[in-house]
Amino acid sequence: MGTSKKFAQYCYQCVAGPDFLTVKVEDGVATEVEPNFALKDIHPGAGRACVKAYGLVQKTYNPNRLLTPMKRTNPKKGRDEDPGFVPISWDEALDLVADKLNEIKARGLRDEHGYARVAASFGGGGTPTYYMGTFPAFLSAWGAVDFSYGSGQGVKCTHSEHLYGELWHRGFTVAADTPTSNYILSFGGNPEASHGVMGVSRHADARARGAKRVQIEPHMSVTAACSAEWIPIRPKTDPAFMYGLMHVMLHEMARERLDIQFLRDHTGSPYLVAPNGYFLRDEVTQKPLLWDTKRGEAVPFDTPDIVPALEGSFTVSGIEVGADDDEWRHEDIQVQTAFDHLVKQMKQYTPEWAEEICQVPDGCIRRIADEFVTHAQIGATTVVDGMELPLRPVAVILGKTVNNGWGGYECCWGRTLLACLVGALEVPGGTLGTTVRLNRPATTRQASVAPGPDGFMKFPMNPTDKENWREKPTARNAHDTLVPLSANSPWSQALGPTHLAWMWTKESPENWGKVPTPDLWFVYRTNPAISFWDTKSVTERIADFPFVVSFAYIRDETNHMADVLLPECTDFESTQLIRVGGTKFSESYWDHEGVALRQPAIKPLGETRDFTDIATEIAKRAGVLDKYNNAINRGAGGVRLYGENYDFSLDTEQTHEAEDIWDAMCKAASAELTDGKETDGLEWYKEHGMRTRPISRLIWYLFPEMLKQNLRFEMPYQEQLLRVGKQLGNRLHEKGIDWWNKQLEEYEALPPWKDIPGIWEQATVNSGGSLEEYQFWLLTSRSMQLAWGSNSSIQMIDEVARNMHGHRAMVMNTGKAREMGIEDGDLVEIKSTLRSTKGRVALKQGIRPDTILIQGQFDHWVTPYSKDNPAPSMNTVVPMSLELTDSTGSSADIVRVAVIKLEGKA
Amino acid sequence: MTRYVMVADLRRCVGCQTCAAACKHANATPPGVQWRQVLDMETGTYPQVQRTFVPVGCMHCADPPCESVCPSTATKIRPDGIVSIDYDLCIGCGYCAVACPYQARHIVHKRDLAYDKQAMANEEQRFDEGRMSVAMKCNFCQDRIDHAAETGQTPGVDPEVTPACVNSCIADALHFGDKDDPDSNVNKLLAENQTFRMHEELGTDPGFYYIWDKNE
Amino acid sequence: MSRNEPWLQTNWDWRAAGNFIGGGSGTGLAILAALASIQGTVYWPMGLIGAVLVGIGLFCVWLEIGRPWRALHVFFHPQTSWMTREAFVSALLLPVTLLAVVAAGPFLAMPTLAMGAIWAAAVLAAIYLFCQARILHASKGIPAWRHPSLMPVIIVTGLAEGAGFLLISAAFFGGGPAWMQVLLVVLLLGRWLAWRKYLADLTQTGAPNKALAVLHEATPLINIGGHIVPTVLVVLSLFTGDFGPWLAVLAGLTAIAGGWQLKFVVIARAAFNQGFALPLTPVRGTGQAGPGDKPGWNN
Repeated sequence: MGTSKKFAQYCYQCVAGPDFLTVKVEDGVATEVEPNFALKDIHPGAGRACVKAYGLVQKTYNPNRLLTPMKRTNPKKGRDEDPGFVPISWDEALDLVADKLNEIKARGLRDEHGYARVAASFGGGGTPTYYMGTFPAFLSAWGAVDFSYGSGQGVKCTHSEHLYGELWHRGFTVAADTPTSNYILSFGGNPEASHGVMGVSRHADARARGAKRVQIEPHMSVTAACSAEWIPIRPKTDPAFMYGLMHVMLHEMARERLDIQFLRDHTGSPYLVAPNGYFLRDEVTQKPLLWDTKRGEAVPFDTPDIVPALEGSFTVSGIEVGADDDEWRHEDIQVQTAFDHLVKQMKQYTPEWAEEICQVPDGCIRRIADEFVTHAQIGATTVVDGMELPLRPVAVILGKTVNNGWGGYECCWGRTLLACLVGALEVPGGTLGTTVRLNRPATTRQASVAPGPDGFMKFPMNPTDKENWREKPTARNAHDTLVPLSANSPWSQALGPTHLAWMWTKESPENWGKVPTPDLWFVYRTNPAISFWDTKSVTERIADFPFVVSFAYIRDETNHMADVLLPECTDFESTQLIRVGGTKFSESYWDHEGVALRQPAIKPLGETRDFTDIATEIAKRAGVLDKYNNAINRGAGGVRLYGENYDFSLDTEQTHEAEDIWDAMCKAASAELTDGKETDGLEWYKEHGMRTRPISRLIWYLFPEMLKQNLRFEMPYQEQLLRVGKQLGNRLHEKGIDWWNKQLEEYEALPPWKDIPGIWEQATVNSGGSLEEYQFWLLTSRSMQLAWGSNSSIQMIDEVARNMHGHRAMVMNTGKAREMGIEDGDLVEIKSTLRSTKGRVALKQGIRPDTILIQGQFDHWVTPYSKDNPAPSMNTVVPMSLELTDSTGSSADIVRVAVIKLEGKA
Repeated sequence: MTRYVMVADLRRCVGCQTCAAACKHANATPPGVQWRQVLDMETGTYPQVQRTFVPVGCMHCADPPCESVCPSTATKIRPDGIVSIDYDLCIGCGYCAVACPYQARHIVHKRDLAYDKQAMANEEQRFDEGRMSVAMKCNFCQDRIDHAAETGQTPGVDPEVTPACVNSCIADALHFGDKDDPDSNVNKLLAENQTFRMHEELGTDPGFYYIWDKNE
Repeated sequence: MSRNEPWLQTNWDWRAAGNFIGGGSGTGLAILAALASIQGTVYWPMGLIGAVLVGIGLFCVWLEIGRPWRALHVFFHPQTSWMTREAFVSALLLPVTLLAVVAAGPFLAMPTLAMGAIWAAAVLAAIYLFCQARILHASKGIPAWRHPSLMPVIIVTGLAEGAGFLLISAAFFGGGPAWMQVLLVVLLLGRWLAWRKYLADLTQTGAPNKALAVLHEATPLINIGGHIVPTVLVVLSLFTGDFGPWLAVLAGLTAIAGGWQLKFVVIARAAFNQGFALPLTPVRGTGQAGPGDKPGWNN
């Protein structure tokens, strides 16, 4: 009779996690993944894991796994160079890394240009952190590290939302309050594929109770499939649709149908706008003025006992503060409210106008506007944890491509404004932020709220004033120099214009200075040679990196260029304690918070090592052991080891085993969660898996915190951005930089419609293509099965993914394909002006005739299994360019392509 | 009497294939064999298009064509409605496979591996020679159902005695229970919602219901 | 990729077709051998050929099954399984036919026993042939097989093939009754009609498009090669004196080939399964259910 035991684990392969599971181990072999039923009442996803977690058994035993450290023997690097990897001992491998680190330390952590000599890239929206044990403590102990070489982040995430969402409502990611929402407008949002277990179950519950979701996107994603209505909009014209909605709401509906009180008391709508476009301010306090209808005069926004005028023209005196030293004094001038300016701006955007652009009938736009406002139930309230709050069960969510690159600003602004017009921002049923990554402290969204000078939330913009502007960027993507909105938190580098790092390492723009390659690059759980754009160029850049250390599970296209491969224990072989609960990413809204453990269920395969032990060894050999231990003590491993009435700090001079480190972490977590009452260690967590405590559901909503601090949402008028943009322009122009001028134009207080698809069309023409030839829009869409986690190399995941149509194929409209003589399964070439990708065609009715869709990210040429199962990839054909980069430093997964039928079947 | 049935809520299913993967784990099915899978079905013409995700597998028919044609009696209808296969009796003639209108039966003659290179430890651990060259299909995780008799738990309610696909479903789209028990979870769902069964016209009396709307 | 439309099943291939080919021809011949014996003599080669054909068919099945050493389990389900029934009948059919062969043959020369045995064999063969028709009819997963109109096709083609073999056997070993050419023509006419009706009924009832396409595509050859040519050859054989018997052999061969082609096409190529269907699409949140679909079907 064999032995059989189940071990509690988490799966954090994607940002929608962590999911929870148990793995059954029979006779020492992991065999079966199941939900963790014990967490049914604590985890909002009832202890279940998504399909990806079921790939972990094959991931563990994948015969292609690297089971011993390796070093490169061929000094030449490139796609066509055989790296000549040979197995080496851990000792040799760690010494190779440490020697290089010590050499760097001796030369200085930063090079002569000010860039960190050590760079690191971790993909997956930060999720590798939950597998790298205490490596963050090593990075912290080391000091300067450049995180700006992206794997997709910054350009392929919902980037605009990250930046503008945090600015306006502490929403690094933004979701509907799905459990309460009755009407959700989704512009390409894809919760059914990308919001994980919690998102899927919340939306399924909403459908079953009769909530309506309208999906607006060019192809029929799984989310469109599960929606009540699908509107196939022309790609990248979503703002036109939103502006059409706003026109109807502002110019065709009775004003009373909007949430006047919300606009008046909780947004910047009543602020008075002076002639140069900045707020009119009180001469003494410099506070923005609004018109108090009670007193019949202009008063600073924070004057008690006022009833501001939402609309109207008023004669007022005051000062206007512009960029840098610009200041104007105005005497008895006619000014209007920000809301008036909005109304005026939206007048031109009639549904008929919108139809011309987005190809959605005007009647449809009018109907949606009416449904949206009707469902908002303005005036309704609900009680959450004893507090009465507005109930506004309508929400707007945005998807990738809609939400990054040019047009992202307009979409995020439009979405947030739509919510404000009906008072549905950050209240039950409405549009909510999920988490903060740029603002600090990041413990809760509420904790990050602090009052700014103008009555809005304070936002940590990178400085643009003369004294403080960072002329020399600290990271190669120049986020702190070029993108004020990207702030400067530990996440900011990775959220900067990460493609600029790739582009400029080859050739930097005029008056910018050299952007050298890093001396050492750490890379873990990411494969930018496949996942970024213009993958050929990215691969060439990586090949230029002199020393690459890859923590590697299998060989892949990125670690093809590595000098050292360090095989770490994977999910079921190692230990880590992470924080769970609260509100976080996608649609993670919990009623609990706490910590959860991942533990070794089986013996590590081969010579693989726990990442924590690897980190400790590197820290020791690089001479930063004390700083590393200190960083762990301070909480760099996830939990601070000391508190008011407990202290489990590690001796900073000693080398500690992974088990001991995590035991201390577990004890500290127990104490933290129980106010020092409990001190259970690792053994307890191995048994129980997780410890949580209940929290108030009020943390789901930011509105109560805004009330508490008497703050307004910074909507609709973007005075701050206007000023910041102007100042940034001044700084850049002073330096002789004019290649960012197009981006500077985007800093507008009320973003007007611009021909957004035209930007990509122009780029096609500029790169030598004609729109007649490159007649299709190529888009991508997330696959739940294959997104994140290198799952395309997992046979079982690949197998079940193929149950969904369009995987490993190019989806094309049936009617359009037939016109071109293309049948289902035909081999075609998809060609952009950059290069082409080949694959099989899957014909569907659920896609616009002018659109092609490629799901997932493929075109592998090293990754075992994946390379033998060819599939097209849009990354191969999407260019990286300044022209296609918006002011936040992002662009979008979209490109004009031609389709050419090839002979034979794929 | 007892009749175990599956209820799939098509309004909820998102086609994530978690059930398919969970089934592969629970039943150690070889590559390419899925006792539970979710179909991706498109209907209509652009722009009036619908896309529906439809979990399928053995329908555990009350009048199963596979059972009546089986020459060896390997396929049986259990008293609880589960259509089961005795792998030791089955001769692998494939007659059941052509009799099943749900394409639910699989016969594998050659041992397939996930990676051609070599069998993984989990494949070695769970390989069952007895299932080679005989008919296989979903059995509603019958071992778990049998376990319920020992523990007194309720299939479809207690996870330990509930089919893996149902346990795993992240959309709460899959439900399992006793249709003959008026108070069961599935009877409640069937009473509150409108359902159909697939290929009902073939007279197989399938034990797999699809919810498509709530009652009017 | 998951398949929604019917696809060609692969559980039964040419080996299964072999059973219907051998079994049909063999039993057809056994039946006609008994009819031919009305003239007073049992001609053992006819029985022998019939038994061998049935045997080959069963051997094909044995090759097909996954667990050949458990073949005896096939007898476990006579209550409902036509395969079990076929197996039981075969267990009697083969010895009884062989008994007739031996009794009619030169060594034993027991004509009464032979006569009794060949008629018993004919009855068993008829049951066997009926079992084969029912085996396909019970295959509910294959629309082209389960249609009741296929049963007459299977039976009449078995007899037609039997008549073909009768002509051949008679040409080489003698004993052909005078009416055998007419019988072949009548059976060919019957097969043509049955096939026609089957196609029409199947199209009308509804079937996978691909199955219908396969059947319709194969029909001209079946009709020309399997119906017209043998009929013409039979007619010619009646008027061509010395060449007559050889033309009759050719007629028999083409009639057999037509039947075998027909069965191969039905079993191995038109065996598209049911596929999946949706009576209607679900309501997601609000609105009405959408129309359903039965992808890959003609109606």
